[in-house]
Amino acid sequence: MASVRTFVARQRGNPAIATLMVLAILVVVFSLTSSRFLTWDNFLNVTRSSSTVVIVASAVTLVMIARGLDLSVGSVLAVSVVVSAKLASTGTPLPLAYLAALATGLGFGLLNAGFIVGLRVSPIIATLGTLNIARGAAFLITSSAILVGLPSNWADLGTGYMFGVVPYPIVVAAVVAVFFSLLLNYTVFGRNVYAVGGNEEAARIAGVNVPRMYVALYAMSGLSTGIAAIVLGSRLGSGDPNIGVGFEFDCIVAVILGGTSLAGGEGRISGTVLGALIVAVLSNGLNLAGVEPFWQYVAKGVALVVAVVIDRLTRLERESTEARIGAVGSAEAPVE
Amino acid sequence: MTDTSSTLGVPPAAPEPVISITGVSKRFPGVQALDDVSVDIGVGEIHCWIGENGAGKSTLIKVLAGIFAADSGTVTMEGRPVAIRTPNDALRLGMAFILQELTVVESLSVAENITLGHEARRGPLFDAPAARERAAKLMESIGFGHVDAAARVGSLSKAEQQGVMIARALSLDARVIFMDEATAALDEAEVRRLFDVIHRLTATGHSVVFVSHRLEEVLELADHVTVFKDGRVAASVRNHDLTAGDLIHWMVGREIGQAFPPKTRTPGDVVLEARAISTASIEDVSLHARRGEVVGLGGLVGSGRSEVLRALYGLDALQKGEILIGGRQVAASSIRRAMRSRIALVPEDRRSQGIIPKRPVEENITISWTQQGQGRGWRSVSRRLALRLIEELGIRTRGPRQSVATLSGGNQQKVLVGRCLALEPGLLLLDEPTRGVDVGAKSEIYQLIDGLARRGMAVILVTSELPELLGLADRILVMREGRLVGELPGDAREEEVIAVAMGHRESLGAA
Repeated sequence: MASVRTFVARQRGNPAIATLMVLAILVVVFSLTSSRFLTWDNFLNVTRSSSTVVIVASAVTLVMIARGLDLSVGSVLAVSVVVSAKLASTGTPLPLAYLAALATGLGFGLLNAGFIVGLRVSPIIATLGTLNIARGAAFLITSSAILVGLPSNWADLGTGYMFGVVPYPIVVAAVVAVFFSLLLNYTVFGRNVYAVGGNEEAARIAGVNVPRMYVALYAMSGLSTGIAAIVLGSRLGSGDPNIGVGFEFDCIVAVILGGTSLAGGEGRISGTVLGALIVAVLSNGLNLAGVEPFWQYVAKGVALVVAVVIDRLTRLERESTEARIGAVGSAEAPVE
Repeated sequence: MTDTSSTLGVPPAAPEPVISITGVSKRFPGVQALDDVSVDIGVGEIHCWIGENGAGKSTLIKVLAGIFAADSGTVTMEGRPVAIRTPNDALRLGMAFILQELTVVESLSVAENITLGHEARRGPLFDAPAARERAAKLMESIGFGHVDAAARVGSLSKAEQQGVMIARALSLDARVIFMDEATAALDEAEVRRLFDVIHRLTATGHSVVFVSHRLEEVLELADHVTVFKDGRVAASVRNHDLTAGDLIHWMVGREIGQAFPPKTRTPGDVVLEARAISTASIEDVSLHARRGEVVGLGGLVGSGRSEVLRALYGLDALQKGEILIGGRQVAASSIRRAMRSRIALVPEDRRSQGIIPKRPVEENITISWTQQGQGRGWRSVSRRLALRLIEELGIRTRGPRQSVATLSGGNQQKVLVGRCLALEPGLLLLDEPTRGVDVGAKSEIYQLIDGLARRGMAVILVTSELPELLGLADRILVMREGRLVGELPGDAREEEVIAVAMGHRESLGAA
């Protein structure tokens, strides 16, 4: 009896349900505002465009569950794209250019880790610094020009289809998301991510190597950004140093919309994937409805704030139910 | 609102107490922190509150300060019942609190601190000269005239900062000033000056409630002494020819407590030896622990008991000394080194250092075990390990997937013990294992500790509850001010432990 009530209470406070409902509402609204919204082509379009966010936000989810933050992903995306484009345009074989993109992403991730773990700079400042360092590097590498003249097979990955149906970017995003989901749910590392975010001091006393966790997490965030850079660079067909401005915002909105707690210790990859879809549907739907593109910024900004408010409300709800379920009522009786 | 008109015309009776606390009770989960407490504080009196840690002094202060709401009871000021719901209410009623952690704003000046929240103004602007003048006058009145009112408070000594707090209390027209362990951070000369300030305050009709662990201070200073014990008032008397022995007797005299397991254990080989270890907060501590032995670490809160455990576990860096485990010296101290040497710790604060609140019971039990690098199939081994420990420790839970935050305090504590046992430790360090745990769970934890020692584990136990210390430990090491000041046998009396912990060996004869 008690467990049934607990289950109901849990579902009521389950952020994934709320996220799914938001997505459903958006889909319904946009199907009404544009007849082109609910088509197979547009579905592929939306999922394809959300793939880079899914790839990076999956890693950022782990970082944020552990109470970290990575604001540098947009700029690191750009520098990784231009590094591989630069190499490819000067005759380096494509696989090597891809490896260079991964190495660039990983390198900046380790730079973040060095600032945060080595120099004890707060994540928000450290990754804000890296955001500018990486953006500057992207412009310096290309002399602020857009790199073109890429080999003919450059665009294959970004525009091709697996078995002729599923766009490769979606396949890559699915693989990355599943990887991080398994990592989070089925490994000691994953449990440590939750433990560090839930109570860092307790995790440390319990023997978790907290600094090593953070190094690994920021490295993963950088490496995922490198993967996203390969997909995005290929899809766009050029090496544009302006790419990915505001991308970190999309990732963080996706993570928070997906129910990852800002306070750390809670969150799931499935939620983040839904969150990324919401961001993509929002942009796409507004586009198709003929709304001026600048309204997309407004909409995303509102979405972030609303998500945080919902996060807080569901947390209050859950905590009060947990207090009621808990063995002892600690409610304080007021003095009369 | 109370109707004030009826009392306006009536002059207050002369001996009426300024504050009268009647029948106040406060219950926390698992603990009756205050049980029907009644205390009167007279006008212009120095009223000292003493008692062991957890006896109820601080809880009562927090009730009066509007931080906790009492479950029942009334507080009257000069005969009128008052409702204290927020710290602001307490302030408005003329109570001021000078707590252990000083609450000055270090970056502001003396004058700004004293007038904070009720600043002198000239129009919309802060009137700095007026504030400085007022501050200087107040500081002068309590004998701190040498402190520059324009000085930054962060640059002052602890004693001077306390002076600023007292001046602030006067500036707010406080009539009753509560000082919680105000002398703890002061040297001898500063203590003298504080006493002088207190006498000045009472001479001008202020009342001072002075909470202290130092018996000599209490005996010297008090007009009236109230002794707290287990959430009750054990004695409330005027200070006529009181002795330290009287106070100690009231502090510890209690009914026969819980049954402790018989101490028929036989200690074996030395598991751990610490030679003259020092950290930032302890100095020159040497001790050892044997297989099958419960070593009690006694002393007041802040005496360095927990810090000894932290040093042994590698949480605080050693500055001097060495730690030997199984006769071999251990190199650099770190938590992982301690865990490899099969040392496990149940930390002092369950909530901030122990449980991972949002995670399931299973993960909370096996987190340390999983750090040892487990092979394939670890998830099912982890599940079985958790189930075995839940069973063995009698943890009351719906199952290993239940969130640990929804367990009672006692069961959370058992989860933390389980986390240690999963490592099969040779030495178990327990820091306040029964804090915030109800009576039933306490005796289960006592049986558990005894059982572990009988299985050959060495246990070092820190607890603020004397009966527990005496009931469980085979020998008792007493800490005071970061040093080990004495060792007593397991059958010592509570009075002896208190006397050593408070540096009052000579009062033993009187007790």
